[in-house]
Amino acid sequence: MAKTLHLEIIATDRVFFKGDVEHLVITAIDGLLGILPGHEPLVTSLPTGELKYMVDGEWHYAAISEGFIQVMPDKAVILADSCELPEEIDIKRAEEARERAEEMMRQKQSIREYYETQAALNRAMNRLKISQKHFK
Amino acid sequence: MPNMREIRERIASIQQILKITNAMYLMSSSKLKKARKALDSTEPYFYKLQETIESVLEHTPHTRQLYFDRRSDIPEEKRKKGYIVITADKGLCGSYNHNILKHTEQTLAAAPDIDNCHLFVMGQVGRMYFQRKARNSGAASVDSEFLYTTQNPTIYRAKEIAELVIDKFEKHELDEVYLLYTDMINSNLQEPRTLRLLPFERRHFGKAPDGTMKKLPKASFVPSPEKVMDYLIPNYAKGIIYGAMVEAFCCEQQSRMTAMDAATNSAKDMIKDLSLLYNRARQAAITQEITEVCGGAASLEE
Repeated sequence: MAKTLHLEIIATDRVFFKGDVEHLVITAIDGLLGILPGHEPLVTSLPTGELKYMVDGEWHYAAISEGFIQVMPDKAVILADSCELPEEIDIKRAEEARERAEEMMRQKQSIREYYETQAALNRAMNRLKISQKHFK
Repeated sequence: MPNMREIRERIASIQQILKITNAMYLMSSSKLKKARKALDSTEPYFYKLQETIESVLEHTPHTRQLYFDRRSDIPEEKRKKGYIVITADKGLCGSYNHNILKHTEQTLAAAPDIDNCHLFVMGQVGRMYFQRKARNSGAASVDSEFLYTTQNPTIYRAKEIAELVIDKFEKHELDEVYLLYTDMINSNLQEPRTLRLLPFERRHFGKAPDGTMKKLPKASFVPSPEKVMDYLIPNYAKGIIYGAMVEAFCCEQQSRMTAMDAATNSAKDMIKDLSLLYNRARQAAITQEITEVCGGAASLEE
């Protein structure tokens, strides 16, 4: 069996990653999910969260916001709204976005607006978390 | 012989317009560059999304899914149809707006009952056009709260639009949703196009090029196929809408650039013709003056 699987991570604005990885860990709806080469075919959606993949024994981390993954035994495709490396995250912008979203949450909102701001807050928090964790 | 002053003023005013059209040409060409870049960087996502959804659906066990429900119990003339139309925010872009509006009109004319047609118009030009028409009876209604600009499309705007129409579809306020936009075939050729967004049709998917059903192992869905589809289909709709927005914006800039280039050229031609006319008029005036002076002198000598 092959030791690597071909991973493609495609965000709406660019092709984030394309190459062979040895191990992939994603945050699925119900928790972390590790994927090794030869995994059974699988489809699941990804909420805003963290993603890591191993290339040549080295872990790479990325912040991902909403997408889905399709896994086949020898390849995996992730399609996401956005995907960023920890060092690409603009902390100031994320911080501002968090404050804005928190402020919005305090206001009276319709249910839809509430979900939208909640999603925005999640994105901002995730970016901050990942950039603090992996990029100091 | 036309008046010299008149011609001079005419030339001056054409020169003013030429400056404007030239500036608009430059602006739209730089915007086009940006839009092209956006289009190029979204294309991989767009195609991969379609490809992946197709292959996901091939592996999906048949589910009674809401978004695949064709609601065939509703007769054709009672079906509520929604049309998302993408036009420009501004005019002065050649036949771009005209073409997409004409295309929409044709689509609406083919619909069995105009009162069941609902328009969701993006872009100021189209909105004004259809709102004006909606005042008369026998025209499709326009959602006045659907206020989205077509400039610099973002994924979040596409998401809002997708959520809105999906929400309406779920609530049975709409039974079919179409997307009307301008497709860029190449830089010289654009074509208005209709795309069916909802309900999804399985026959679009799951067939090999030779028309036979592919036999593939079923993939597992975490947590369940319905849950994943609930997420996947809105995401797919969002991707499609975003792709159409980017495409339409690119087309708009392209046609504005072409139109403004043509306007600049014809202004230059007009100035050339008018200068010729002006020089002739001036020469004529000078000749006449000389003749008058000579005539005066000759009459004095006698």
